[in-house]
Amino acid sequence: MTTSEKNSEIHGTTPEFEQRIARALELPVPELRMPELPEIDSDKVVAIEPRRRRVPPVWLAMAASVALVAIVGVRLFGVAPEYDSLAEEIIAHLDHEPYALRVTDEPVSDTRLSRIVPANLATLDHSAGLITYAQNCKIKGKVSPHLVIQGKNGPVTVILMPEVRVQSAETIEGQSINGVILPVGDGSIAIIGEKDEDLEPIQRSVIDSVAWST
Amino acid sequence: MTDSRAGFARRRRFDELVGMYHQDMYRYAAWLSRDHAIAEDVVQEALLRAWKSLDALREEAAAKQWLLTIVRRENARWFERKRLETVDVDNLTPSQEALLAESPDEDVGDVRAAIYRLDDDYREPLVLQVLMGYSTNEIAEMMGLKQGAVLTRLHRARHKLKDQLEKDAGTPGT
Repeated sequence: MTTSEKNSEIHGTTPEFEQRIARALELPVPELRMPELPEIDSDKVVAIEPRRRRVPPVWLAMAASVALVAIVGVRLFGVAPEYDSLAEEIIAHLDHEPYALRVTDEPVSDTRLSRIVPANLATLDHSAGLITYAQNCKIKGKVSPHLVIQGKNGPVTVILMPEVRVQSAETIEGQSINGVILPVGDGSIAIIGEKDEDLEPIQRSVIDSVAWST
Repeated sequence: MTDSRAGFARRRRFDELVGMYHQDMYRYAAWLSRDHAIAEDVVQEALLRAWKSLDALREEAAAKQWLLTIVRRENARWFERKRLETVDVDNLTPSQEALLAESPDEDVGDVRAAIYRLDDDYREPLVLQVLMGYSTNEIAEMMGLKQGAVLTRLHRARHKLKDQLEKDAGTPGT
């Protein structure tokens, strides 16, 4: 069965009508203009492992720190883009994991949730809502659990940032999204959903169910 | 270091993905923005963003949806930055008209114009279903909607298209 036949069956149209739509949608495509791509050192596009603590001699530590700042600065800034604001970094982060935003009724396991949100970071229970995604991410260089809760109109992203402080609540308004970054204790929580999602109930349940342990 | 084998492989992987999906990216951007020049800008930005976060793409099989999701967000960002008003279909700019540039097939031009007139809410799922070949479930995932809402929009999109075509031609759109 062709796509047109399948769609005509689903929508009660004729296959010819579906073919007309398909033909019309196939706009002529201009020649590809590749943007200038920044150089990315692939060796550096890996998670940074925690460094072992050592106690070097003072002179060596000073010399090394100067060199390290220069090298790491150049390399890191070549890899990680700079953002003007926390909101911009969070929105950009959503692009990195588009598959997190799927509509599903399958919750993440308690084991995974407790691994991503360990007790020494925060306590969070399932009363926050149906949590369908949990992953550790880095925002402002700090480990920040990235969760997805199923809202009424679609998936809602929740990023717990126990070490990223904000002075006051900040709203995120976009054509297709709305969200908020809330100060919570010494940290903050970002909640972003579709434009028409009412975030109030999710905000309340998330804040009620999160307690920083740091 | 930047000419390392890993860097070369990364660039080759990116070029292959762009080669495969550039057309889809442009058409999606064009139908979202309804403007040829904006679509080109959006694709440029999306390519740049995809390049920077390429390492987050773990499965090649998911590449198309990943790229289209980036296009979707870049398009939203573009309109946020420019704060454009909705398109007045009776008063198009040259760049908007370029999208509807005459087609050798008159019927294609008519249907294209009717699709152009659809509201964003109806046009986008139609593009994802008919042009990109996604199921209603996949469209729901991409648009962050329930599957039922997607089905409703797809039904309505077709009804609106039929009505428009009938109105334009004075004959049933079949």
